[in-house]
Amino acid sequence: MLLIYCPYCEQDLPELEFAYAGEAHIARPADPAALSDEEWRDFLFIRSNPKGVHFERWRHLNGCARFFNAARETVGDKFLATYKAGEPRPDADALLASPTGDAK
Amino acid sequence: MNAMTSTLAAGVTITELAPTTRIALRLADPATVPGLSLPTEVGARSADGSRTALCLGPDEWLIEAPEADRAAVLATLAGISAPHSAVEVSDREITYALEGPAVLDLLATGCPRDLARMPVGSGARTVFDTAQVVLTRETDDRFHLTVWRSFASHVRALLDLAQRELAAGL
Amino acid sequence: MTSYRLPNRGRVDHRKSVRFTFDGKSYQGLAGDTLASALLANGVHLMGRSFKYHRPRGVVSAGSDEPNALMGTRRGPGRFEPNTRATIQELRAGLEATSQNRWPSLAFDMGAINDNMGSLFSAGFYYKTFMWPRSFWDRVYEPIIRNAAGLGVSPTESDADTYASRFHHTDVLVVGAGPAGLAAALAAGRAGASVMLVDENAEPGGTLLSEPSVVIDGKPAWDWLAQALAELAGLPNVTVMTRTTAIGYYHQNLVGLAQRLTDHLDTAPSDAPRERMWKVRAREVVLAQGALEKPLVFDGNDRPGVMLAGAAQTYLNRFGVKVGDRPAIVTAHDSAWHAAFDLADAGAKPVAIVDVRPAVDTALTDRARALGIEVLLGRTVTGTSGRLRVKSLRVNRMEGGKPGAPRDIGCDAVLMCGGWTPCLHLFSHTQSKLAWDEALQVYLPGKKTEAVQIAGAGRGLWGIASTLEDGATAGATAARDAGHDATAQTHTVTADRTGSGVTCKELPTDKDPGKAKAFIDFQNDVTAKDIRLAVREGMRSIEHVKRYTTNGMATDQGKMSNVNGLMIASDALGKAPPQVGLTTFRPPYSPTTFGTFAGYHKDATFEVTRRTPIDGWAEANGAAFEPVALWRRAWYFPKPGEDMHAAVSRECRAARASVGIFDASTLGKIEVTGRDAVTFMERMYTNPWAKLGVGRCRYGLLLGEDGFIRDDGVIGRLSADRFHVTTTTGGAARVLNMMEDYLQTEWPDLKVWLTSTTEQWATIALQGPNARKLLEPFVEGIDISAEAFPHMAVAECTVAGFPARLFRISFTGELGFEVNVPARHGLALWEKLMAAGQQYDICPYGTETMHVLRAEKGYIIVGQDTDGTLTPDDAGLTWAIGKAKRDFVGKRSLARPDMVAKGRKQLVGLLTDDPKVVLQEGAQIVADPSQPKPMTMLGHVTSSYWSDALGRSIAMAVVVDGRDRDGQTLHVPMPDRTITAKVVKSTVFYDPENTRISA
Repeated sequence: MLLIYCPYCEQDLPELEFAYAGEAHIARPADPAALSDEEWRDFLFIRSNPKGVHFERWRHLNGCARFFNAARETVGDKFLATYKAGEPRPDADALLASPTGDAK
Repeated sequence: MNAMTSTLAAGVTITELAPTTRIALRLADPATVPGLSLPTEVGARSADGSRTALCLGPDEWLIEAPEADRAAVLATLAGISAPHSAVEVSDREITYALEGPAVLDLLATGCPRDLARMPVGSGARTVFDTAQVVLTRETDDRFHLTVWRSFASHVRALLDLAQRELAAGL
Repeated sequence: MTSYRLPNRGRVDHRKSVRFTFDGKSYQGLAGDTLASALLANGVHLMGRSFKYHRPRGVVSAGSDEPNALMGTRRGPGRFEPNTRATIQELRAGLEATSQNRWPSLAFDMGAINDNMGSLFSAGFYYKTFMWPRSFWDRVYEPIIRNAAGLGVSPTESDADTYASRFHHTDVLVVGAGPAGLAAALAAGRAGASVMLVDENAEPGGTLLSEPSVVIDGKPAWDWLAQALAELAGLPNVTVMTRTTAIGYYHQNLVGLAQRLTDHLDTAPSDAPRERMWKVRAREVVLAQGALEKPLVFDGNDRPGVMLAGAAQTYLNRFGVKVGDRPAIVTAHDSAWHAAFDLADAGAKPVAIVDVRPAVDTALTDRARALGIEVLLGRTVTGTSGRLRVKSLRVNRMEGGKPGAPRDIGCDAVLMCGGWTPCLHLFSHTQSKLAWDEALQVYLPGKKTEAVQIAGAGRGLWGIASTLEDGATAGATAARDAGHDATAQTHTVTADRTGSGVTCKELPTDKDPGKAKAFIDFQNDVTAKDIRLAVREGMRSIEHVKRYTTNGMATDQGKMSNVNGLMIASDALGKAPPQVGLTTFRPPYSPTTFGTFAGYHKDATFEVTRRTPIDGWAEANGAAFEPVALWRRAWYFPKPGEDMHAAVSRECRAARASVGIFDASTLGKIEVTGRDAVTFMERMYTNPWAKLGVGRCRYGLLLGEDGFIRDDGVIGRLSADRFHVTTTTGGAARVLNMMEDYLQTEWPDLKVWLTSTTEQWATIALQGPNARKLLEPFVEGIDISAEAFPHMAVAECTVAGFPARLFRISFTGELGFEVNVPARHGLALWEKLMAAGQQYDICPYGTETMHVLRAEKGYIIVGQDTDGTLTPDDAGLTWAIGKAKRDFVGKRSLARPDMVAKGRKQLVGLLTDDPKVVLQEGAQIVADPSQPKPMTMLGHVTSSYWSDALGRSIAMAVVVDGRDRDGQTLHVPMPDRTITAKVVKSTVFYDPENTRISA
């Protein structure tokens, strides 16, 4: 069970309050009809699934109920940052360079 | 003692509270509603006489008032001119008052939050076991736990189990 | 008292005897004993049989690493546990223990024949032996294996105990209350940090309990311990818990603790849980778990009476039990010398100390000789004798790297020590790396991934002074990192027992190594030659060696065996140990009961059971219930003598003939409110909403963005900016989450908000030709005549004096209403309607009748007739799509090539040729039943019922190109027969003109 910093509640809170919601920064096209079948397929199904920094959505379902974004390092399963929906994607390399990990 | 109250030697009582008027209020900017004094920090609660407003999310408040004030509260909210949503949910939930020196231990049987750090007079939506609940801290050793009605018997059964466990002293 | 119990020794209560039984025989122990120490005090060494060879076995250890002394323990009905470690189970009055893995008795076990057929059971025998002939598998091998498999006997009764769980938050969690852990807790506790100190043993103290002669801060070790514990007890910020095993170490310093609460008590207080699972979140963790003693690997090292030297020292000093009068000591480490000295001090006569090292500290040899103990250095051990108890030890001098002539040494116990392994199981759970220390020949903590300090023997330190100092430093560091101003205290230690040792593979022998039974993993009967065989047969990775030989796979998780196995494997592979690697440790650290994991989720609180306000009435009126999502719903209401079929037929008839009443409170309800409510509804649902008038309802169909049906429900417009949306019972939370997702992340500009009102309202459906007549007298504020309140109308009004939202809707095809009243009034309204309905023979009906009635009308149930792969067209619902709408969730997907291609499965009706035959839901459908298997499946039956109204069975099915098959005969193969049925394009079986609904 991870601790997740909710950018709306401004607290580290137990993962049991949260729900995962898939990859982040995949906006629904403004005019889906304008997309080719291939483009629409990519929007629907194609995800990055990286080994490393993954930008993903979470919802503080049993809390403030907000969807927000997170950068999580998938090898060590550590959150590097969380940020509000609509805010720009942080730079992955910069996040890795200043890890919030606990190695001392 | 209220028939809904159970007291054991554990120093914690569980009491089902009588219904109150509850409104789920949603709006984008509380500054647009000057008369209501809505707190803006998630978890904070304001009081205006017998009415309280608990901020559950950045655009969400739980307004509580005595049943006698229901019409007045609804009228106040209906007067908000900014885009908003006010939905009565008085019957959606059951509230239990949990009180006593062991109240944090009681809640720790099901709630993963560090409730020792929750200031008196604040609250939060969280979980107890697998049920979503709203917890408010009324005094150092008194919490109110509000849970959707259909989950109440499950949550109450767990609270009763935990209360007996605390009384057993192990 | 037996001659093995030493008065005035140990921490047991010599004045308080405790009776218990082992294999039916009554014994006497002392308060403070473990089951193992009490048996040893009675001279009982034979405590079990090994798993594979059924070799007689005695206790090896004094702790949770015990591989042999596993027993069944019992206290009355429903309280039996197999595989209890006798070294952990504390003695309590009336404890019943039984040995395992033996028949007919522990002393004479038929299964021991396996021991003489050892060559058949070599490494990998599972993979080699039972391969052929193939026909033997079902009838011969599997029954034999099943009969022999399993450790101990499963309980046959349901567990009578209760279990608990607790979340906890602390600055510092210290695991292990030995000298390092105590010092850490003192340092952090004095600094004001909140501290939790846990230990798996009954008593804190760790090594100090076995080393009373050490002097700390001027006091004998036990006095110092008592003072330290008193100080910790006096600090309100410190919690000390014994009998508490840290079983798993998870992300961000979450540690799982299994606390044993009642197993040690003569009688457990009522309501006390047996065990409690703690989920502790610590800012900082200090691991002070010490080190685990390794056996030496030599032929016959598993005979009863052969045990770890440190264990013998613990039995002596902590429990006042002498494990033998004439023990022989075999060691590769200085620590066993001290065990011998303590035994000699207590009056035993150690016959010899055999050390594999050619030279040791002369202080040790001088002391041994002074005590009259023969000292044999540079020796190897090549065998033992004795059937149920060791009688002698075979020792050879090493000459030029080879064993010389053997010599037998008579003894009644063999105390062995192959050195110590730092206990880093929990550290490894965190994916932290271990690093091989060439000098110490052990794995030590490497790179950390968590906020953790390792203290004491866990990082290779030896002796009380260094572990105390290290613990204090770790505790202070942890407290500082948790934000407290802490300094490490200092301790002075005299009469300390420092020491060192060497790490060995199996000891050299002059006998045929292929015949040697030199055990590494006692519980799984893995020997040194099994490891070498595995390497010869091609296993290169230690993970493969482990699985091929089962070394380290027993319930002790290789606590004793892993490093010995590694040393032998690396020798066989000709590689250094770090190149061979160590297998991964995984939680739990030691066997943990299912009850501890289940916690409160047992019996009535097994999982959430959601109940409607009318649930109690249904129960009182004999309803049968079925689970629907987390709800329990009234399924049908049988009258005396009725079975389900009869009850459902009667309920169906009543609803079609007069009026039925149904609790629909579980339906999901979402209030969609705000200036942009219509826009939002237009975007979410397939249907058009802009022109839906206030006071009107519409069936709404919700797709996923992939174009597949997700949910449906009737939606009423209460005002220009307010919709009352209903969802399926199971879909309520999912739909709300999906709506919130779009609203918050795609369309944050929309001024609309969603509020779940599922539980605000109790919903009662009245269905049938007399529904209006029944309801009308209760309604105030509106006219509900057919003209004023037609099908698909909605209004706010008063019903029976309660504020209500009244819908004229039907899920049965009959004239119908759904009354929503605030939940607290639901039961009262139900009872009023029931009372008034008597004149119409009102009939309460359950979900089964609801299903039949809707199926007769061809109404789908999302999740039953759809399965996440049906489009609106597949389900015959294209009429629910707003043709003029430019976009809605899922619209673009409906034009994808696969969605419009031929060959999709379509929902159709299916009527069996024999009208009495009711198809099975889920049954597969084929075109030609005589085609060879595997047959081409065209689809499956989704809904199937007996229809009382039609006097025949009806079914719905999804079938490839189903609508093109109108009138075609298809086949449903069943195990005993094949059923033929005809496809009907329409799923509406009853009242296709819809005349009844508009009555």
